[in-house]
Amino acid sequence: MNTFRFSALLRRLRTMLALLSFAALPAFGADTLNLGLPGEPATLDPHRYNLRIEETVLEDLFLGLTTFSAEGKLMPGAAESWETSEDGLTWTFHLRADNRWSDGTPLTAADFVWSFQRLLNPRTAASLAYFMYPLRNAEAISRGEAPVTALGAEARDDATLVLTLEKPYPHLPERLLYPTAFPVPRHVIEKVGDSWVKPQNWVSNGAYVLHDWKPQQNVQLVRNRHFQPPPIAGAVIYHSLASAQNAYNRYRAGDLDAIAGFPAGELETVKASRGAELRLSPQLSMMYLVFNTRRPPFDDRRVREALAIVVRPDILTDRVMRTGDLPAGSFVPSMVENYEHPALPHASLSLAERQQRAKQLLAAAGYGPDKPLHVTLRYADGGDGKRVNLATAAFWQQLGIKVDLHQAELKVHYADLRQGDFDVAQAGWLGESNPEHYLGLLHGRTGETNYGGYANAAVDALIDQAREQKAIAPRHALLHDAEMLAMQDYPVLPLYSLTVRRLVRAELRGWIDNTRDAHPARFLQRP
Amino acid sequence: MSVHWLPRRVLTLMGTFVGIITLIFVLLRLIPGGPFDGERALPPEVEANLRSAYHLDEPLPAQYLRYLGRLVHGDLGPSFRQKDFSVNELVGAGLPVSLGVGGAALCLALLLGITAGTGAAMKPGSLLDTTLMALSGLGLAVPAIVLAPLAVLVFAVLLHWLPAGGIGSPRHYVLPAFAAALPYAAAVARLWRGAVLETLTEPHLLTARAKGVGRVRLYLRHVFPLAAVPLVSWLGPMAAGLLTGTVVVEQVFDLPGIGRYFVQAAINRDYTLVMGVAIVYAALILSFNFLTDLVYGWLDPRLKVHA
Repeated sequence: MNTFRFSALLRRLRTMLALLSFAALPAFGADTLNLGLPGEPATLDPHRYNLRIEETVLEDLFLGLTTFSAEGKLMPGAAESWETSEDGLTWTFHLRADNRWSDGTPLTAADFVWSFQRLLNPRTAASLAYFMYPLRNAEAISRGEAPVTALGAEARDDATLVLTLEKPYPHLPERLLYPTAFPVPRHVIEKVGDSWVKPQNWVSNGAYVLHDWKPQQNVQLVRNRHFQPPPIAGAVIYHSLASAQNAYNRYRAGDLDAIAGFPAGELETVKASRGAELRLSPQLSMMYLVFNTRRPPFDDRRVREALAIVVRPDILTDRVMRTGDLPAGSFVPSMVENYEHPALPHASLSLAERQQRAKQLLAAAGYGPDKPLHVTLRYADGGDGKRVNLATAAFWQQLGIKVDLHQAELKVHYADLRQGDFDVAQAGWLGESNPEHYLGLLHGRTGETNYGGYANAAVDALIDQAREQKAIAPRHALLHDAEMLAMQDYPVLPLYSLTVRRLVRAELRGWIDNTRDAHPARFLQRP
Repeated sequence: MSVHWLPRRVLTLMGTFVGIITLIFVLLRLIPGGPFDGERALPPEVEANLRSAYHLDEPLPAQYLRYLGRLVHGDLGPSFRQKDFSVNELVGAGLPVSLGVGGAALCLALLLGITAGTGAAMKPGSLLDTTLMALSGLGLAVPAIVLAPLAVLVFAVLLHWLPAGGIGSPRHYVLPAFAAALPYAAAVARLWRGAVLETLTEPHLLTARAKGVGRVRLYLRHVFPLAAVPLVSWLGPMAAGLLTGTVVVEQVFDLPGIGRYFVQAAINRDYTLVMGVAIVYAALILSFNFLTDLVYGWLDPRLKVHA
C-alpha cells in the first residue's frame, strides 16, 4: 500500500470516528468550567461529607457564615460581620440582607440554627459532627445525652445568629469554613427527607446549584440565579477521575481545564513541557512517623531520639520523592500562620554528628553490633509510602538497626494504628491553620488518634491552658511551648507537608495558588 | 430436545447462587478494617451513630437475614460510601455501561476472530496464515492493562482522534471495546482456525467436495456449524468474562461501569455495594454457563443422549 492511499484511509477513519460524536454533554455553554476531581464524591449532603473532594464541590454549592476568597483567605460569607463577647464565649453573627435559597426563599438565622442541630443529631450520623464541638452542649447532643434544642445556637432575629461556646475558641470563624457549618434547606428536607440531595429536589444557597450527578462520571452545577454577585462562569462540571494517570491523559487530550494530581513520576516532564500550567501548592498537612510509646523498646526516649535524628526529611523530599513536598521543620506545618515554629532539638547537627549521637544513645539503651535493634515500620498503600519508607529504613540500617517493612491497605493500616498494633508507623494529618489541630494529637487524653499513646503531663497542661485562652496570640504562645516540650520526647518524627500537583490551563483566569487549595469556581473564568 | 434435567439444574444454580452470597457476606466481614476506618479517626459516639444507622451494631446473623430479606424484594440496600445513592441506583447506572462495552467487545472479538481464523484456515501454512497466527499470538500475549493505556496515548493524547476517557457518545466506546476485545479476538482466531481445519478432514466433507459443492456453500452450510461447537462451549465463559471482566478497561478509560465499583467498593469496605456487584456478576456468569449448556445440546445432537 503506498503512502497516499494510507493517508486517505486514515482520513476516512477519522471522519467515521467524528461521525460517532453526538450529544457528548448537555448543552452547556462555552464558558462552562471542566474541572477534574481526583475521585468520586461520596455525598453532597454537607452534614454527611467526609472527604476533601466533597469540600471542593460543596464550597460551590453552599455558602457558610464565613467563606474562602479567591486567594484562599477567610472572608465574610452569609454573615457580613460578627463580634465576640468579652469572655470569648458568645459570638454574634449579622447575616447579609440578600441571603436567599436558590428557590427564592429567604435564608434566615433560624435556618443556621436548624442546620447545626441537624448536624449534631445522632440520627444524622455525621462523621465530622465533632467539627462543631466548640458549640455549647454539641458533644453531649452527639452522644445522645442532651436534646438538640440545648445547642448553643440561637436566632435572635432573622438576621442575627448567636453562637455560645463551651470554651473560648478564637478559631471559630475558621472552623465555620467547613461544610459541616453550611446551612441546609429545612423547608425542602422536611418535605422530601433524605432525597433532598437529588437534582430534582436540590435547593442550596451557594453560587451554583446541582443540575445533575452521574455516578463515576461527573457532577454538573449551574449558576444559582439568586446568588449575589452572580458567578462569572455559567456552569461547572466536576469530572470524577479514576486515577492520576487518567487525569493527566484527559487533561492532555484537552477535555479538562484543571486537574489536581498527576502521576508524581511525570513532574520533571511537566516542568519541561508545561511549566506555565504547573501549579505546586503546599498543603496544610503533616506526614509523620509515630512511635508506639506503649511498647518496649519505643517507650525509651533514647531509642526514639536515635531513630528520629538520623532521618533527614529534606533528603527524603528533595532526592528520594522529588514530588515538590515540603520537608518538615517541626510537627506543626510551616504554613500555619501567626505561630512561632520551634526548631527540632537536633536541627543544627550534621548527619555525621547525628549518627554519632544516635549510636551513643542506642548503646546507652543496650543496643549495639552484638544486640541489634529490630524495628517494624508500617505504612499504607498508595502515594509515595513505599519509597519514603524504604529510604527511612536505609537511614536506620546505617546504624546497624534491623528494619522490617510492613505494607497494608489504607483501612487496615489505620485500624492497626488505632488499636496500637505497631512499632513505628507512617501517619498523616490534614487540617486547619491552627497549631492545636496538630498538637492535639499528642495530648494524653486525645484517645485513638494519639496513635502512639504519648502522654506528658506538662505538655497536656500547656495545651489545656492554651485551650482556655480567648485570644489567638497567648493561645499560640502556650502551644509553641507545648510543642517545644513534646518534641524533646520524640513521640513522632515529622517528615513533610504534602504538595498538591496541579495542572491549570494558562488561559483560565482567577486561579490563585494557596495553602488551603481552595479555588471557588465563582472566581474562575474561561476566556 | 429433552429437558428432564432442567429442574435439577435450576435447583443447583439457585443453591450455588445462595452459596456465593453467603460466602461473600462472611468473607467481607472477616477482612480487617471497616467502612468507617480512615485517616481521620472518628470519636466513639460518632462511630456508634454511624454503625447504628447502617445496622452494623446488630449481631452478624441478624444482619445476614436482614440482607437476604431485602434481596428477596430486589433491594440491594444503601451504599455505605455513596451515601446519596442506593446500590440499586448505582448498579442501574453502571450496568448498561459495562454491558455496552462488554457486548461491543464480544461482537468485535467474534467478528475479528472468525474472519482471521477463516482466512488462516483456508490456506494453512501460507504467508497469510503465518502472519495472522503471529498477530493473534501477539494479541494473546499483550493484556488489556498494557494495550489500553497505549491506545489512549496514541489515539487520544497524541492524535486527538478519540476521547481519552469518560462516556457520552458512541466515540467513547471505540477504544475501550477494541482494548477489551483484542485478546479475545486473538483466542477466537486460533480456536476457529483449528476447528475449521479439523472439520475439513471429516469424511462427509470429503464426500461433499467430491460431489462438487461450491466453496461458499461448503463453508457456510457444512463447515461452520460443526466448527462452531468448540467455539460455543468457550463462548459462555468468554461472554461472562467480557461482560464482567472489563474492570481494567473501565479503570483506564474512566468508564462509569460496575467494574470500577468492584475494586473501589472492596477497598472502601462498602459491604452492600460489593455484595450488589458480586450478585450481579454471579447471576451473569451462572446464566451464561447455563445458556451455553442449552445451546451446546442444540448444536450437537449427539450430546442430547448423554445429557
